[in-house]
Amino acid sequence: MCFALFAQGTKESAASATEKVTLTMGSWRTDDVEQMNNLLAAYKKIAPNVDIKFQPTNPPDYNATLRLQLDSHTGPDLMYARSYATGQELFNAGYFADCTDIPGLMTNFTASNLAPWQMPDGRMFAVPFAAVSHAVYYNKDIFAKNGLSIPSTWEEFLSVCDKLQKAGITPLANGVADEWDILECFFLGMVPNFVGGASERVKYESGEKKLNDADFVAAYQAMADVAKYCPKGFESVTYNDSQVLFNTQKAAMFVDGSWTAGVYKDATFQWGVFAIPAPKGRKTAICFHPDMAITMNSATTHPEEAKAFLAWLCTKEGATTASKNLPVGYFPMINFEIKLDDPHANEFLALNAGKETDARFVWPALMDLYAPMNQAVIKVMRGEITAQKAADSVAALKK
Amino acid sequence: MPKQRNSITPKGRYWILYLLPALFFYVIFMAWPLLDSLRLGFFTGNTPATRSFIGFGNYVKLFTDETSRTRYWGAFGHTWYFFLINMVAQNCLGMLFAVILTNPTMKGREFYQTVVFIPTTFAVLVTGYLWKLLLNPVWCGDTLVRMHLGFLARPWLGDQSTALTCVALISCWQWMGIPTMMFVAALRNIPEDCIEAADIEGANAWQTFWYVKYPMILPVVGMITILTFVNNFNAFDVVFATENVNGAPSYATDLIGTLFYRIGIAGQHPIGIPDAGMGAAIATITFFVLMAGVVPMLKYTQREA
Repeated sequence: MCFALFAQGTKESAASATEKVTLTMGSWRTDDVEQMNNLLAAYKKIAPNVDIKFQPTNPPDYNATLRLQLDSHTGPDLMYARSYATGQELFNAGYFADCTDIPGLMTNFTASNLAPWQMPDGRMFAVPFAAVSHAVYYNKDIFAKNGLSIPSTWEEFLSVCDKLQKAGITPLANGVADEWDILECFFLGMVPNFVGGASERVKYESGEKKLNDADFVAAYQAMADVAKYCPKGFESVTYNDSQVLFNTQKAAMFVDGSWTAGVYKDATFQWGVFAIPAPKGRKTAICFHPDMAITMNSATTHPEEAKAFLAWLCTKEGATTASKNLPVGYFPMINFEIKLDDPHANEFLALNAGKETDARFVWPALMDLYAPMNQAVIKVMRGEITAQKAADSVAALKK
Repeated sequence: MPKQRNSITPKGRYWILYLLPALFFYVIFMAWPLLDSLRLGFFTGNTPATRSFIGFGNYVKLFTDETSRTRYWGAFGHTWYFFLINMVAQNCLGMLFAVILTNPTMKGREFYQTVVFIPTTFAVLVTGYLWKLLLNPVWCGDTLVRMHLGFLARPWLGDQSTALTCVALISCWQWMGIPTMMFVAALRNIPEDCIEAADIEGANAWQTFWYVKYPMILPVVGMITILTFVNNFNAFDVVFATENVNGAPSYATDLIGTLFYRIGIAGQHPIGIPDAGMGAAIATITFFVLMAGVVPMLKYTQREA
């Protein structure tokens, strides 16, 4: 037994290029097994001796499961890393390896794309993998039939909604029953239009700007204004209901995240996306949210192989292969020009051109305010509180 | 002869052997985890490596921290309301159905018995999603309007004032069959001569029920009450299926079960870092609430049994 172990040890330390190595990869993307296996198969052509096994966990359980695995030293060699605080905590605990010196990482990504997986001192704990975007899905057939065009300001957006409603069509598919979607897709999707992008966000984080200033109140007011264009009984409309309403042409528009673009691939109508427009006089910005990154276990028995894979993701070739195998609606974050195959995905990505982008407002530093902000948005939409009250209720909780 | 009898008297300790297998599994899978979760309530941190003892810290935080306190007492109140609706709607109707079903002149009894019992055989997720669609004006509004019942097309599950009542009634609708069947069984066990005697004395149906039948099925009433109490204080699935684990809308349907799940098991979306110690603290309090409710109830209703 002992001898066998020693033999194993020496074999590993002297691992030649032909030695077979198996790495495991943890993830919360249970929907992407097929795509990831394609990606990993593509990597196998480059590194024939490395076998990477994709082992995803149910999304809501990922953080807890990963934590448990890491604490008991059974963690995967490679794994998806959550952005900001959740990821930083695992790096501080010593579980994530320092990725700063992975070739290409610091040079092939913009600062804003590195930031979500960067420690305050500049060290990186993961390689950015994919981002999601937020926009308005619209039914081109209904727009054409009613002589409507894409609104370029928030005011025009409201008048488009009004015209649709007068024509007897539910303008927006959004509901509030599941709670998270109205905040993450709609409110946080449009908030940069009202309060500004990353440069302004940090002022709110530092306390220089108040979360109940006129800009924020206007954003809550915008939610109050769209409530009447949501389906009758939107209080009971779930995220799935919204998708069905849009997909069955019962609603003309749906403010949603890019990750559902694949849902409408068999739609019987023409659809497209446009940026949630900013109020008159403001610049339209896009909520382009860093979602997935991959990192390696600091205690992996095969650090060289794991690192080589991460470095591959930082190359043009690797990023292109990865992007081709990402599900529709997930976008590469690397600087290289990458052509996506899906036309709707390209449409989504094109919205970023010439616009400022930022992560979802609360993610970088104000995650504590997620639930209160979610409730404030819902209450404003129900007409239970005014926009001012909503802003005040969130601002009061800012530490 | 006496020797032979000795082997089955309590003096023989053989019975312990027969108890051991059950005791082993009971201790491993019930008693030990229960005691360990009581212990866990005094710790913070999610894994053995990061866990540290904080005494009553979790309890203090639960009742002093503004958000935790609001959520806990909210869920506590909602759970009692949920229990109340279940007692009134599920158990009283169950009793009524049982009395009707045991009426000797009743026709088609088997059929109705089956109808009442069928929902209990469905999965909660199925009935939950079914009712979620039925109570949603977006999907049922048009049909209701065509039936001249347009006033019913309301977001029942999305309105704070009606959501919890609706969720409780969905639970009642599903589980009504259980108390009904238990009451039916209990009522059938009442000796015929008691009812005949009441009849001869000139008691009407109402008097027969209150003074003869009800006292005789009191132990079953107690059992049903306890089961309802325990199940309702652990209720989670029906809210999960019809609303979400946040107890939407605006925490109006947040029960102890969903609060515990959110804090102790899944963690609050979207950060998703659970606090096992705080979860255990909530579970411990629930355990004592259940004890405080069940023990007197058992004493009161089972003394004659």
